[in-house]
Amino acid sequence: MVARATQCLPAPWNSPEGRGACVVKTLVEMSDIRKAFAGTAALKGVSIALQPGSVHALMGENGAGKSTLMKILAGVHQPDGGAILRDGRQVAFHRPKDALEAGISTVFQELSLLPNLTIAENMFLGREPTTAFGWVDHRRMRREAGKALAGLGLTLDPGTLVSRLSIAERQFVEIAHGIMTDASVFILDEPTAALNAADVEVLNRHIRRLKDEGKAVVYISHRMDEIFAICDTVTVLKDGELVGTRAIAEMTPASLIAMMVGRELADLFPRRGDAHGPAMLSVEDFRITERSRPFSLSLSRGEIVALAGLEGQGQQRFLRSLVGQYHPFAGRVTIKGKSLPLPVSPGGGVRRLQAMGVGFVPEDRKEDGLFLGLSVAHNIAAALHSKRSELALAAGYQRRIADTMSSLAVKASGPGAVVGTLSGGNQQKVLLGRYLAADIDILLVEEPTRGVDIGAKSEIYRLLREFARKGGAVLVLSRETVELIGLCDRICVVHNDTIVKEMPAADATEHNILDAALSANGEANGAKGERR
Amino acid sequence: MWILPLLIALAIALWLSLKTAQFLNGENLLNLVPQAMPLVITAVGQMFVVLLGGLDLSVGSMISFTTAVLALGGPAWVLIPAVFVLAALVGFTNGFIITRFNVHPIIATLSMQYILLGITRVLRPVSGGTVPDVVISAVAGSFLGVPMPVFWGIFTLAVAWKLLYGSRFGLHLFAIGGGVSSGVEDAAHNFGIADRRNIVLAYVICACFAALAGIFLAGRIVSGDPNVGLLFELDAITAVAIGGTQLSGGIGGLHGTVIGALVMALLANGMNLTNVSPFIQTTIKGAILLLVVALQSRKKMGL
Repeated sequence: MVARATQCLPAPWNSPEGRGACVVKTLVEMSDIRKAFAGTAALKGVSIALQPGSVHALMGENGAGKSTLMKILAGVHQPDGGAILRDGRQVAFHRPKDALEAGISTVFQELSLLPNLTIAENMFLGREPTTAFGWVDHRRMRREAGKALAGLGLTLDPGTLVSRLSIAERQFVEIAHGIMTDASVFILDEPTAALNAADVEVLNRHIRRLKDEGKAVVYISHRMDEIFAICDTVTVLKDGELVGTRAIAEMTPASLIAMMVGRELADLFPRRGDAHGPAMLSVEDFRITERSRPFSLSLSRGEIVALAGLEGQGQQRFLRSLVGQYHPFAGRVTIKGKSLPLPVSPGGGVRRLQAMGVGFVPEDRKEDGLFLGLSVAHNIAAALHSKRSELALAAGYQRRIADTMSSLAVKASGPGAVVGTLSGGNQQKVLLGRYLAADIDILLVEEPTRGVDIGAKSEIYRLLREFARKGGAVLVLSRETVELIGLCDRICVVHNDTIVKEMPAADATEHNILDAALSANGEANGAKGERR
Repeated sequence: MWILPLLIALAIALWLSLKTAQFLNGENLLNLVPQAMPLVITAVGQMFVVLLGGLDLSVGSMISFTTAVLALGGPAWVLIPAVFVLAALVGFTNGFIITRFNVHPIIATLSMQYILLGITRVLRPVSGGTVPDVVISAVAGSFLGVPMPVFWGIFTLAVAWKLLYGSRFGLHLFAIGGGVSSGVEDAAHNFGIADRRNIVLAYVICACFAALAGIFLAGRIVSGDPNVGLLFELDAITAVAIGGTQLSGGIGGLHGTVIGALVMALLANGMNLTNVSPFIQTTIKGAILLLVVALQSRKKMGL
């Protein structure tokens, strides 16, 4: 494909033969793209070709590398290897501006609008119309923004500050920014996450319009019905590798899911526990938001329970509402027989839970968890000290620190080694060690093995299982479904801010977890008929 | 956003006119404009930097430096362009160090403050020298019966207004600051904005406005003075903050900044008229900055 594209350079737009002189089929071709973040490979040689007049679905589980691939095409990340061909010519995008100028427009997954600017300003940011004197033409900006909004069926004043918009409205503004532009390649990364069925139909109409105009559209979504409704081609990624590219016409939802998950379970995991004791943590009638369905969950001694599902469906909000970083709508939480009044105060939540024997291991160990500039010993001692009075003399914890380090098998030069210099896996072990050294018997863990290599992963699984076997209980949240199946005893599938299905991990497969989440998606959409 | 500081300014004026006989005195009122002008000009420059989430502590030294350069002796047509070239160079260095080497704006511009102060003291260890006549008459004179400082004010505001609200640069300034203060530092960059170039430009503009204020002050004191700009950076930042510009960037504007500078000027005038010791005045200004910023942190994004 590369060869054909390079052989056939496009005729210049103003050449006498016109564009028909040499038909270039591929608008953009990415070949053998590689990218690693902090030593962890996110993309291991992925290729994708975008044809004019087609909608190309990009699918894969969480963390498969879809967003990374598209951010490379948008110029946000720079690839470590591989080539990007635009109309057959090799290009390099050093910054987002380069990609925009090459006619590649992106609607990012994370809402990236600027809250302090108006809708019109956001929509034209970076390509403001100017008057003959070079000043910004605010009037034209407003007029055209108003037109674009009307085209999407919105009746918002373009002069409204974005901070005053709802999430769905912001998503529409973001979409308008992305698709109402003179580009030839459009990337839509989960554009419909906050939209209801009627809004999605409006968006689909615009995608079909772009397709009819001969543009290429990349569409990332977890909603099967959307994929089958508007896409022509699908490329599936798995763990940063290309699984394959197929025409949608020859796929079924079932065969697509099979393509997304098909992988051998690595023999990474310790044996599951069997002795289940009394409930350590129980949650009843919990409602994350006012609109979400209530759910209950109980965690027994010796048990590891997973919160699985697609990204951002409320798993993290639930876990964080236990430590006070999110205010849930309602619910009752009991920890070892003592009730925890909700909402937990955001300032003292973590301390308070620690006093009740609950440790919270946040997802981002660098930002939220570890003191990177301090030694291993200081990091472990921090948890021990936090239980004592602020002004108490620092006790000597050398023995306990040394014990913890050896039981965790932390590979460091000694307790004095600075945590920031350790590998990701060892950092994660130190973070866990902090809670294991303190007298904690319930652990709430987010992403236990994020950015950690295979060997360290398996050791972390062993540590968590060991912790449960000694009478602890663990609640785990992870984007890696395989990890949850292998590590845990029970799996709760979370979707739309509620638990939609609970299953023993022994019977769970990636397929039926994804299926439970995706079919719940359809149900939820159907149930909320009034939103259509 | 700028209504509150306006009310405060009016309240101070009212209080002063009731409290002291001198305030409403014609001479005092005529004096207020030239008294306030250097601060207005400096604060307006500072506002550009604050809006994108930065800070420039070197403007005080820049003002002193400007007066020292003007008092070197020489023709005005050499000295005045030289002052602006030097200011642009200082601003460029600030912006370059901040964007290229990722130095925090406070540290980068604090270093610049010392560097410039040192150079100024080499040029003019104590106040003295004379500045070109053009500069003096441009400040003290009048045109068509209107005192010159008024024209300085109009010029400053017109330039700042066009830059901030008319140019793409101004809009990008708000975008960069909005990204910084809402925690997504790369937001503006991802929109395809040349963020580094805009940041450098903002520091250049800030330094040039400080130089303009320095020229004005040189015309007022008719000499070069290594200490005339002392603590001006804090006055300017306080004025910007009083005017409702959020110090973390993204929210604020020109009206507020000008009113903020007027509040500071009225306050200084009032304290002088009521014989508050200059040392205590400094303390009061510091307390005001603290108070304004402490109140600010409570209204984060979303106004």
